[in-house]
Amino acid sequence: MTQEHMTEIANFLARYLSYMLGSGVHTSRVVRNSKRIGAALGVDVSIHTSQKTATLTVTDSECLFFKTRVVDIPAFPISFEWNADLSALSWAACDEKMSLEAIERKFAEITAKPRMNPVFVLFMVSLANASFCRLFGGDIWAMLITFTATMIGFFTRQHLTKRKVNHYIVFIVSAFVASICASSSLALGIDTAEIALATSVLYLVPGVPLINGLIDITDGHIQIGISRIVNAFMLIICIAIGMSVTLMLVKDSLL
Amino acid sequence: MWPQGRIPVKMKEAFWNSIAAYNSATWIWQIAMAVVAAVLPALLWFRPKEWVKTVTKLYMAAVSLWIAFVYYMKYGAVRDYSNVMTIFWCLVALSWIYDLATRFSSFRKSGKYSAIGLAILVLPLAYPFISVSRGLEFPQITTPMIPSGVALYMLGMLMTFNRKINFFAFLLVMHWSVIAISKIAIFKIPEDALLAAACIPSMVIFFLQMLKDAGQSSFKPSGKYVKTLIYAVAVLLAGCMAVA
Repeated sequence: MTQEHMTEIANFLARYLSYMLGSGVHTSRVVRNSKRIGAALGVDVSIHTSQKTATLTVTDSECLFFKTRVVDIPAFPISFEWNADLSALSWAACDEKMSLEAIERKFAEITAKPRMNPVFVLFMVSLANASFCRLFGGDIWAMLITFTATMIGFFTRQHLTKRKVNHYIVFIVSAFVASICASSSLALGIDTAEIALATSVLYLVPGVPLINGLIDITDGHIQIGISRIVNAFMLIICIAIGMSVTLMLVKDSLL
Repeated sequence: MWPQGRIPVKMKEAFWNSIAAYNSATWIWQIAMAVVAAVLPALLWFRPKEWVKTVTKLYMAAVSLWIAFVYYMKYGAVRDYSNVMTIFWCLVALSWIYDLATRFSSFRKSGKYSAIGLAILVLPLAYPFISVSRGLEFPQITTPMIPSGVALYMLGMLMTFNRKINFFAFLLVMHWSVIAISKIAIFKIPEDALLAAACIPSMVIFFLQMLKDAGQSSFKPSGKYVKTLIYAVAVLLAGCMAVA
């Protein structure tokens, strides 16, 4: 194996694992997949991950050469599709003995797939929150108010994110806007108004980072696991701040 | 579904009494603001200068603050949670001030839907007539300067001059029309059906426009599925209105 070829493998694997980590895949899966592709290409891969960066070293089987790369982890939206497709790519590389060029081509195809339509996401998130409202016992009016309150909150989030506002501020503002809109149900005297208020911010709950953090810790990736959980808790605190402002304004208490 | 029997009579009385107090004390101001509201679309239609657009946005913010502080905080204070509505209408005002600061919406005609927009613009004038036809008497009647009338006016302006709209304001008006749907049932105000009915086609038109602006080719699922979803939600809202 030439040094040049090893450099190409290291560069590709650095990109591969940064995309996986950035799209919300838990660490042990990223490590396992990267090692699998490395094994298919005849190299050993060692990886160290943190919240913002990852380091990998690629060594050839005779330990004559090694290449190390440190990459920033890009902040992509959570993508279960990338998670599944990029994992499948690692299996395909292993089973079909794909060349590096073929793997890179397939990787480019997967990452170039169109993103979710923001209008579609806006509607689906709002419908999901209205469904949560129903699950928690809300009536039809509470559901409708939750639907539109979520829509306003989520649109605010999309707009501020597009403007590159700090994401903690985005969470505080979005939680405030959604909950203040949902609190209008209190003025109508709806029996389940408080359910509408409580469920209007559920779209902000950082479920994936929380689950990934726990999986990482139980798999032994303590450092990144704690980072992810701390990050998720920060977001939960931001939701709490936004909602607390509403409750203090509207009910003079925290319910 | 709706706890009809449990709506306290006191709540309905407080609602109509606050409207009566508001109309008695502010009818002259309401007429003045309605005149300004009538002049602005005419100016935007015939002389769409930059200062007219600025004045329109300032008027939208001012009229929202009027509803927040005069209608809800002063005369609606007897109602439960009127402070919530004050905050909500401050949010509407904020959306117009933000729009003014970012100069986002253009208040320009697109050549489409202007007729629907003009029809919606006239609808708030129907409020007092519907009230009178129901046997109500001044001051206990609805007017164009109550929250739903103002929301309807905003919707009409957004629809008439829809080249590039203030989407925050539209979503807040849409939220208000959902509240209006429930108010038809709770406070027995059939006038609010005007807002609810105008909001549903507006919702379809604005979201389809938003979908087009987003550029469908670079996203999934394909546009036809998203359009179907938008129509389905519109039908759902219309169904709720029918139930109310």
